[in-house]
Amino acid sequence: MTENANTAKPIKSRITFISRSAPYGNNRANLCLDMALACAVFEQDVNYVFLDDGIYQLLKGQDGAAIQNKTLGNALETLALYGIENVYVDQQSLKARGIDAAELLPSMQLIENDAVSKLIENSDTVFNL
Amino acid sequence: MSCLHTINRSPDSKLLESCLKVINADDAILFIEDGVYHCFSLSNLPSIIETVKLYGLREDMLARATLSKTMDRVEVIDTARFVELSCEHDKVVSWF
Amino acid sequence: MKFSIVIYAAPYSTESAATALRFAETLIQQGHVLYRLFFFGDGVHNASKLTVVAQDEINLQLQWSKLIEEHDIDSVICVSSALRRGVLDQTEAERHELGTASAYESSEVAGLGQLIDAALHSDRVVNFG
Repeated sequence: MTENANTAKPIKSRITFISRSAPYGNNRANLCLDMALACAVFEQDVNYVFLDDGIYQLLKGQDGAAIQNKTLGNALETLALYGIENVYVDQQSLKARGIDAAELLPSMQLIENDAVSKLIENSDTVFNL
Repeated sequence: MSCLHTINRSPDSKLLESCLKVINADDAILFIEDGVYHCFSLSNLPSIIETVKLYGLREDMLARATLSKTMDRVEVIDTARFVELSCEHDKVVSWF
Repeated sequence: MKFSIVIYAAPYSTESAATALRFAETLIQQGHVLYRLFFFGDGVHNASKLTVVAQDEINLQLQWSKLIEEHDIDSVICVSSALRRGVLDQTEAERHELGTASAYESSEVAGLGQLIDAALHSDRVVNFG
């Protein structure tokens, strides 16, 4: 399929971030968050989904200082401040890891797998790490 | 709105399981790099609904001596076709 | 079609950077447009010019630079990832009084805004990590 190189998307784009990695052990959680915050500054339509080990980023009571690190949990609480309100947590990922929603930071919307599928389907671009 | 999912790690990574949780019926999966180890054994390739097309990258299979073991369910493609598939689907979601 | 490619992986450690390079070369051969390359996280090492490889091995950084120059591609190294990994262009090297630049001149050190811009102006964003 070839197409005219001038076909540009509308300047408002729906971008979904799937954060699938636990915090601290590697930097993927930070990279994902940095991308989303940059996106929000550009006033894009952002979804942020915690899937698989990504849900560990949401545990209350983290203290990154214990390993000379910034506390990622604090940064995640700023998502809403940057206008990112569509923050979702995959229920099945919680269940599979024996984590109760009460152990997580507030203002997360719990969703099922098929809702994640829908978010992906309705996005222009998906970043998944 | 169909999506091309790429998977680049071996079955041990469980990336395919993650992908399958959120895949849509008209999506496709392309196995690249160590992902091609999914392609030659039924135990590595769980039953995926028939409507989801499966592809494997020939260059990575050649390098790993897995081309001849590849199951019929998987269509073997080259990088040129990878680019075409990226155009034919509405977006590419990479699992790595 | 207009593509942008995001590279998260360092060269040599995994195959991903090499796969991304082949994908980039192929899409250009097919007449598509590569709107932007964005090197992020460990991916910034792909723009490092202070490298030496064995004669019978591919020099990925050099191959990237050749591709970028040959096709006049807009190539961006994420500034926050690059500075902490020692991948500096001349401007950054002087600003931080660190002597010589370590990044190929073919790439520009810039912020995450360039990634979001790429998502907005490309038909497809393909991630390699």
